[in-house]
Amino acid sequence: NPQPTPQNRQTQTFLETGWANQNPPPRLNFQPSPQNLKNRQEAWARLAGAPKILVPWRTTLTRIGGQYGAGTESYFTLLRFLLGLNILGALFQGALTLLPLLLLGPIPGPPSQGVHQPCGPYDPLPQGLVDYPTLLINLLSGEGHLEWSPLFYGFYPAQLSGGTFRLPVAYLLSTFVSGLLCLLLILHRSVSGLKQTLLSESGALTSYSHRIFSAWDFGLRGAGPVELRRRALRYELQVELEEASERKRAEARTRAQWAGLWATRILLNLLVLAMLGAAFYGIYWARAGLLLRPLLPLRTLLVAYLPSIFISAANLLLPPVFGLITGLEGYPRSRQLQLLLLRTVFLRLASLVVLLASLWNEITCGGKPEAEACATCGYNSAERPCWETRVGQEMYKLLLFDLLTALAIPLLVQFPRKLLGTVCCGRLGRLLGTMEFQVPEEVLGLVYGQTLVWIGAFYCPLLAGLNAIKFLIIFYLKRFSLFFFCSPASRTFRASAANFFFPLVLLLGLAISAVPVLYGIFVIPPSKLCGPFRGQVTIWAAVPHAIQGLPRTARDFLFFLGTLSFAVPLMLVSSVLMVYTLTLASSYGRQVSKLKGHIKMESKSKVLLAQRIVALSGEERDL
Amino acid sequence: MGNKQTVFTPEQLEAYQDCTFFTRKEILRLFYRFQDLAPQLVPLDYNSNPDVKVPYEVISSMPELKDNPFRERIAQVFSQDGDGNMTLDDFLDMFSVMSEMAPRDLKAYYAFKIYDFNNDDYICPLDLEMTVNKLTRGELTPEEVGLVCEKVINEADVDNDGKLSLDDFQNMILHAPDFLSTFHIRI
Repeated sequence: NPQPTPQNRQTQTFLETGWANQNPPPRLNFQPSPQNLKNRQEAWARLAGAPKILVPWRTTLTRIGGQYGAGTESYFTLLRFLLGLNILGALFQGALTLLPLLLLGPIPGPPSQGVHQPCGPYDPLPQGLVDYPTLLINLLSGEGHLEWSPLFYGFYPAQLSGGTFRLPVAYLLSTFVSGLLCLLLILHRSVSGLKQTLLSESGALTSYSHRIFSAWDFGLRGAGPVELRRRALRYELQVELEEASERKRAEARTRAQWAGLWATRILLNLLVLAMLGAAFYGIYWARAGLLLRPLLPLRTLLVAYLPSIFISAANLLLPPVFGLITGLEGYPRSRQLQLLLLRTVFLRLASLVVLLASLWNEITCGGKPEAEACATCGYNSAERPCWETRVGQEMYKLLLFDLLTALAIPLLVQFPRKLLGTVCCGRLGRLLGTMEFQVPEEVLGLVYGQTLVWIGAFYCPLLAGLNAIKFLIIFYLKRFSLFFFCSPASRTFRASAANFFFPLVLLLGLAISAVPVLYGIFVIPPSKLCGPFRGQVTIWAAVPHAIQGLPRTARDFLFFLGTLSFAVPLMLVSSVLMVYTLTLASSYGRQVSKLKGHIKMESKSKVLLAQRIVALSGEERDL
Repeated sequence: MGNKQTVFTPEQLEAYQDCTFFTRKEILRLFYRFQDLAPQLVPLDYNSNPDVKVPYEVISSMPELKDNPFRERIAQVFSQDGDGNMTLDDFLDMFSVMSEMAPRDLKAYYAFKIYDFNNDDYICPLDLEMTVNKLTRGELTPEEVGLVCEKVINEADVDNDGKLSLDDFQNMILHAPDFLSTFHIRI
């Protein structure tokens, strides 16, 4: 590029970079400026930016991102997203189940007693006066008055007055539609995150140059943020260099060292499996052991919450142990983090699965419908006359206990640590007093909480609403503890990983939660004494029953959708589309690498031509 | 926002608006910032185009630049004589290029000049070493610094001459989506 002349420098640089011919980029602030408003795109960008003002907590989140890093900000963004999901789901379910009940139908009285019940007496309401401790215990464990209330499945009647609004179908529909809505929203979020990841990280090929040339934020002010950024940058560079040297060291290992390493790895994995197995057995036992009912109210509460206590204890104690173990396995740093995350995810989601397995075992007598307790009614009616409410109660208790743990940790762990940190001097005090916000663990806690709700929302329709309130409390709680107790992260957490990995785990949670719900809908016979599906063979049987009442064309169309002659062509068409998209993607990838090679060749030929020119002009001068 | 200002002639303001990415209001605001830096030096009347330079020490004490490790290079690149003492034109030019309205090519051009410490139109390994040292303030060992510089050149040098030309640099910046947001000073 020619050197700009001093007097008309601005115009020169202006013209030579071709800015005069380009359109200016859209502005980031909303001030109108006459010269830049030429573009219609600008106006559209401004319009599109307007709804963003409605999104809550924007300033809080930018402040968190500026002070604590992009990883922490991504946690709070995820929390806000889940809050929105829960509110949406709660509104949906409420509108389709609770609202019709309150508006139309008769509010059901207590379940009929005195009549000879083939499937065991169901008598949830307490007789006479209840004292305060029992009332409190009922509130915390979802029994007593709470059990026969719109909170749980059992309360809803099979028919509403008027006969036009079919509550069973609406109940099922609300569950499916809110599940589908959640799926679509999470997919949308993960796809946009994936696009960002694919665009920005075109591999480890440019990590160093990016870090040196474009990672330093020129807009940073004040010695504090600058020092933090420096530290973060230095840490990043050191991590990269360390990984490179680790890789070199790994290549230089001898066979004996490899054998020793693999033996250690297998041993440690067995240890991890053993710990997981012990935790799961504890959870299973805690749930199954609930059949014994002690009399003292406090012990009742303890026994009712035993599964939750075991799950929370496992989730709190095991991940740090996993962290220590993964450190010993000799993997590079990034691999270690991934392994740790994988193990923690497995622990969290599998503990829920174990709890559900224990419940299933009790309700269906271990899957044997011929067993003595399940012979008459198809489910264990002696222990659980209303099994759906029971499942809902377990999820309700887990939710409450999760909230309790979240409230207890700042009070009982972080506050004393901070206090000790200021009182004790020296290295120990500093070690105790510095706490950082551990993004992956917190996010997995969120995913666990949301999976609970997805499992329980069918059996406890107001659970999504309760969860929305819980997430609201947790937002303010975590923000408070972040600002008061936590110091800014000394290590950067890649926000791009967050954009892709966390929605993936959320999807996993959604998939896992779909299994018990669908199993309960399609396989287990509904309770005969409670709920909108009493008297049906399966819960799903309400849908064909309702379709029969539709006009002929609609009925035939809907039945056609269930037949094979619809499913098979649909599968064929989707496979064809998938193959087409994959080939398109791979051809684009090939084109991109070809173009990259082109750029390299162009610059090489430019250099060659420049050298030729220099050589020729040299010759001319000599001549 | 009427025509009541007496600092510039209307033609001067028009010229500034054409040559920078700022509006009238912003130009006047920046002028008052410039004037605040050295009230005795900078006159309040620029109608006669006075040749006034604010020394580098004063410029580098601005809160926007005070903690920036590259402030010296920024002032040198944007000043007329390359010594860091800036006129009003240089001042406006600098903040215009570092504002959010400047396009990527322009920013990349100036970023290249800033990182080119010895002004030879190439970012050679010595320039890179100085950049890395300024970024980490000497907290990396010399061999770590050397390793990093080597890797940067390996990644970005397309024409294989052992140093980065403007084209290499611009090519590399194309793949950095956050360059626009980090090469930005808000004033």
